[in-house]
Amino acid sequence: MLHRLLVEPFALPFMQRALIEALLLGMLGGVVSVFVLLRRLAFVSDALTHTVFPGVVLGYLVAQTRGIVWGALLFAVLSAVLLTVLSANRRVTEDATLAILLTGFFSVGVVLVSRRTSYTADLTGFLFGRILFVDRREIVETAVVGAIVLVTLAALGKEFLLRAFDPDGAAALGYRLPLLDLALNVLVALVVVAAVKAVGTVLVIALLVVPAAAGRLLSDRLTVILAAAVAAGGLAGWFGLAASYQASVYHGLRLASGATVVLALVGLYALAFAVAAGRRGLGRLGWLDRLAAAGRPAGGGRA
Amino acid sequence: MSAAPLFGDAFARRALLEAVLVGALAGLVGVHVVLRRLAFFTQAMTHATFPGVVLAALLGVNLLLGTGVFGVLAVLAVAWLWSRQGAEETSVIGVVLSAGFALGVALLSAQAGFTRDLSSYLVGSVLTVGRADILSTAGVLVAVVLVLAAISKELVLGAFDRGTLVALGYRAGLLDVVLLLLIEATVVAAVPAVGTILSVALIVAPAATARLWTDRLGSMTAVAIGLGVFAGAAGLTISQLQNVAAGAAIVLVACACFVLSWLLAPRYGALSRWRASRAVLSTVDGPI
Repeated sequence: MLHRLLVEPFALPFMQRALIEALLLGMLGGVVSVFVLLRRLAFVSDALTHTVFPGVVLGYLVAQTRGIVWGALLFAVLSAVLLTVLSANRRVTEDATLAILLTGFFSVGVVLVSRRTSYTADLTGFLFGRILFVDRREIVETAVVGAIVLVTLAALGKEFLLRAFDPDGAAALGYRLPLLDLALNVLVALVVVAAVKAVGTVLVIALLVVPAAAGRLLSDRLTVILAAAVAAGGLAGWFGLAASYQASVYHGLRLASGATVVLALVGLYALAFAVAAGRRGLGRLGWLDRLAAAGRPAGGGRA
Repeated sequence: MSAAPLFGDAFARRALLEAVLVGALAGLVGVHVVLRRLAFFTQAMTHATFPGVVLAALLGVNLLLGTGVFGVLAVLAVAWLWSRQGAEETSVIGVVLSAGFALGVALLSAQAGFTRDLSSYLVGSVLTVGRADILSTAGVLVAVVLVLAAISKELVLGAFDRGTLVALGYRAGLLDVVLLLLIEATVVAAVPAVGTILSVALIVAPAATARLWTDRLGSMTAVAIGLGVFAGAAGLTISQLQNVAAGAAIVLVACACFVLSWLLAPRYGALSRWRASRAVLSTVDGPI
């Protein structure tokens, strides 16, 4: 039964490619989402998913599908820089700046695309993605971007953590905080660019926020959060694609695969929420702690 | 081309009225969004109401009803998750945003032939608003003005000094929910004119611009409303002359006002801050 639900759908080549792409993006999103959580960049991520839109349109106009990634990359970096510059004015809070930046860029994209005839189809594809149509080249692109992001995080991860938990200390050590912020924003932008063509903006923002939020509900420890986030991102890709396939093939209910992956991710978040609430409830009862303490040498920490 | 033939026909006049009403409403509510830093929440509302749009179309009920119901559900979900421990604010908003939008997309994909309604919902179609749209926008405006007249002081106190608000015996959580509902009503009312994605700009940009020009809440509110009305009217005029999407033109006018003020505002603009820092440096003798 489980085999039929979770393994069989991926015998088809296009489902295999979709699964590889979903696993790559899910696990990459899981890693980056931890930094998004620590630096509270949920809104930045959401803004970046919208600001790349004019780049996608321009790239397509200049060089068809090959231009999309480069156009998106250009606008992602441009908006990451603009965000850093505009945030220098203390009078306007960062969230207001972000809202204006994201809608302004998005409007430019809408103006550009509203002069084309295939307006609605383009917009829909951008928003919802087409993961079932990814080809080998796109998977390789995703893998390369993922490798760049992971190597950078491995090199700068300590600095990002220091900046997140102790900005004054980081500044005193001589780190230039705006540069560190810019670097992290560019990394988030890279993930957005890698993912946006395959899975659409909707899924990207979910991948960048929900995995670590779920992990955070389960633990205070960074390594546990990281592991949980990566697992949640990967599992959601797998389960979501399988569920979408089952619904479409056996139940006559067409479910967009990108959206189903997000719903699976949200389901995992709800599960983590229930586990956390249950643990608190049991903790309040107290007997479990006493039971655990009885089986442990004195002085041990909380289970 | 003069203004008279530009807004000569009934469609264009209705569009102008709607744009002006939405601009005023967005400017008014935007002040609280900016002061309370709720821009991300506003952005999430625009996405989380999406399943309401799809369901309203499937069931054949009014669009405002569908978005309204899902907006209230999203507000309650955010408020409930915020009240729990261990859930960080922005990630809660991100989760609700993703969940709502994905649910909408999943519902949508189960239904073919919906794309036209979808794009007008996303980016607005102010030229096709009817009498009912204008009436409901006006109704929301009146309701928001009345509620704000009643609790504006409390909301501002909550924005600047939440501890005092609680100490005075107010139920801060309840006031939060009321404010979130006001924002949600504004987002829903702005959908016909500028669409969901762009309504955020019309709410945030005028208020953020006003904050660059003045320190006083009263004048900030007045400037924000004026800018909202101006963006609505000017954007609509540009879209008529240049044949571009009206919602996008309105938003671009609002953003242009912000960027110009960011550069040129008398005390808080980039130019005057740069000159002030040079003036300080020139009073210092020799290298620092």
